[in-house]
Amino acid sequence: MRRSSTLSRIGLHATMLVLVVWSILPFIWTFQTSIKFTRDVAAKKPVLWGYETTANAYRAFWLDEDDINMWSVLVYILVVTVICLILGQIGRRVRHSWPWFTAAVGVIFVALWRFPKVWEVNDEYDFLINSIVVTVLTMLISLSIGLLAGYGLARYTGISGAVILIVALGFRALPRTAFVLPYFFGAKEIDDWLASSGVGSWDFPLIDFPGIDTLQILDTRLAIVLALVAVNQPFTIWMFRSFFMEVPKEIEEAAMMDGATRLQAFRRVIIPMMWPAIIATGLFTMLLAYNEYLFVRVLAPTEWTLPVAIVSLTGGESSRTITEAAAASVSITLPIVVVIILFQKHLVKGLGAGAVKG
Amino acid sequence: MSTVTLDKLTKIYPNGFQAITELSLTLEDGEFLVLVGPSGCGKSTALRMIAGLEDISSGDLYVGERRLNDVQPKDRDIAMVFQSYALYPQMTVAENIGFPLKLRKISRKDRQEQVHQAAEILELTEQLEKKPAQLSGGQRQRVAMGRAIVRRPALFLMDEPLSNLDAKLRVQMRADIAGIQRELGVTTFYVTHDQVEAMTMGDRVAVIKDGILQQAAAPEALYENPDNVFVAAFIGSPSMNLYEATLTEADGDYRLSLGDQALSVPDRVVAARPALRDYLGQPLVVGFRPEDLEDSAVVPDHPDNQRLETEIAVREALGAETLAHFSIAAPSVDSGDPDALDELGDEESSRCTARFSAATRVRVGDRVRVNVSTERLHFFDRKTHLAIRS
Repeated sequence: MRRSSTLSRIGLHATMLVLVVWSILPFIWTFQTSIKFTRDVAAKKPVLWGYETTANAYRAFWLDEDDINMWSVLVYILVVTVICLILGQIGRRVRHSWPWFTAAVGVIFVALWRFPKVWEVNDEYDFLINSIVVTVLTMLISLSIGLLAGYGLARYTGISGAVILIVALGFRALPRTAFVLPYFFGAKEIDDWLASSGVGSWDFPLIDFPGIDTLQILDTRLAIVLALVAVNQPFTIWMFRSFFMEVPKEIEEAAMMDGATRLQAFRRVIIPMMWPAIIATGLFTMLLAYNEYLFVRVLAPTEWTLPVAIVSLTGGESSRTITEAAAASVSITLPIVVVIILFQKHLVKGLGAGAVKG
Repeated sequence: MSTVTLDKLTKIYPNGFQAITELSLTLEDGEFLVLVGPSGCGKSTALRMIAGLEDISSGDLYVGERRLNDVQPKDRDIAMVFQSYALYPQMTVAENIGFPLKLRKISRKDRQEQVHQAAEILELTEQLEKKPAQLSGGQRQRVAMGRAIVRRPALFLMDEPLSNLDAKLRVQMRADIAGIQRELGVTTFYVTHDQVEAMTMGDRVAVIKDGILQQAAAPEALYENPDNVFVAAFIGSPSMNLYEATLTEADGDYRLSLGDQALSVPDRVVAARPALRDYLGQPLVVGFRPEDLEDSAVVPDHPDNQRLETEIAVREALGAETLAHFSIAAPSVDSGDPDALDELGDEESSRCTARFSAATRVRVGDRVRVNVSTERLHFFDRKTHLAIRS
């Protein structure tokens, strides 16, 4: 009895170990490649340990200078990360947490803004900014629409609500590739109309962005955001709807009896109950937007995000571009790993929430 | 503080279902009115119409002089305690209780003071910084009460607030809620399906069935003089025993035939209800409460012609009293209570429950003679089910 349970436990752990190694090995390989010299990468027999390390690949990918000590860059990033983590931890523990979270976001913003003033950067830095802008905007828009629509569809039980939900599910089930060309042609039609009608070159006093003299959709971050929001919306709506379904109607009614309008009840009572759902859905949306390749490649031929930039490096056979691609992969993965580790508790909670009431 | 008037309130759902039919009630200032009825009778709908959570299909609702039909729930100055308590899980107890005040933009200092006052009344002072999830059922119930009393509304609505508590706590909270209500003097409209709650808490009890008000009266009056068969059967536990019977007159003596047995009915009983004379020789409904029956061995001094003879089928010794169940060879009457258990019985015989004093020595299977307090018989029309009183 005992023997078999010990045996099965060993078996279980062995299986888990194999699975962990299986999933982590590619990442270790990539990381190793990113810090090797090209001669070790190109060696016929793989050099697994004892090799000389270098940050050349990272420097080559991000910076337009050859003689920078990469330790200073690493220290810069680490300091910013630590400050943000400290601010975030304070924010989690105190009563009024918003100022602290806002401060953390502000620190990241300033760090990103100052970085190119300290070091000469490549175009890839712009792609990083594109990635961040696209991800944040997609999250904000998807979550706002998803919250309102999910709430409405959870509370409204008429037939048209069911139709909307089923249609949304249908869109979700279609492959992404089915949408990309229609989006492309649609955007092109609009751009053609903007150009031919002259609207595109109007002088809009309020949206006079520097560097933009004509209004267009294709090849802008806006195109990517719009497409990603459209693709992701069914998911956020379904996610939020299932969360709202678990919020008893009496809680809103109690808030209204207590003197709240419907909107106040939603904002002050329901939304605070939804934070786990918002974080979980937000993380999934973030992953989708941050990792997107196809839409970016097609809708924004020059306004790349990082995944496209990496793929552009992997085409060549030269070991130099391979180390650079590896360095790029590691660079774009780490922030996501940090975010996921910080929020993984909510991620699991969010995934489980649909199943068990509690 | 104010009187509340329900004037022919009616609720018809879009699918045509009429949940409430012309409900008219007036709550005096500070009155505790309990609306009681079996499940699905529309009592919660009535409450939600007063709260403003359901539209009023027709009729008028007044609090004081103000007509509230089209007023938003938040502007009605009515507080409600929900069956599920509906506490805000992310807020502490203090924040939960203070939420109505916060919405009314009352300053932080005043808010704290009022929350503390409410917490003191409800003995929640120790729990103020806890979240609802850390509280016991009874404490959650108190928080829900606190949220209602903190702002001194014109009217309290309570929707079965005790039904999620265990039996012992329910008895205690029953007394507590009634006490708090009396202390605050706020008009209260309380909904329950539990007639014991209704009888013990209400200044006045309104019995409702299928969306129609059956009778509204003080608990004692309701118990002593039910207006119809439904109220008679619904109020009181165990229920009143109701049978079809025939009253006849022979040589100036009144006799009630109950199946194969007969009871002599004193002249006074008929004299007090002149209308009964119209029913002579015709089937009517007669009812007697379990406590109006007694084991003849315990009280031998009882007229012989006011006794029933029967065989004990089930005996429940409760300590202070003993419930005895037996059958009577008379057709039983369907009171219309959907929650009532199917009576053991058929066309010819039906179940009867008696509440004997603890001194009784009856055993299952004994043939006993049961004294009937004929002075306390209730008579109803067989067709309309209305009480025959005048």
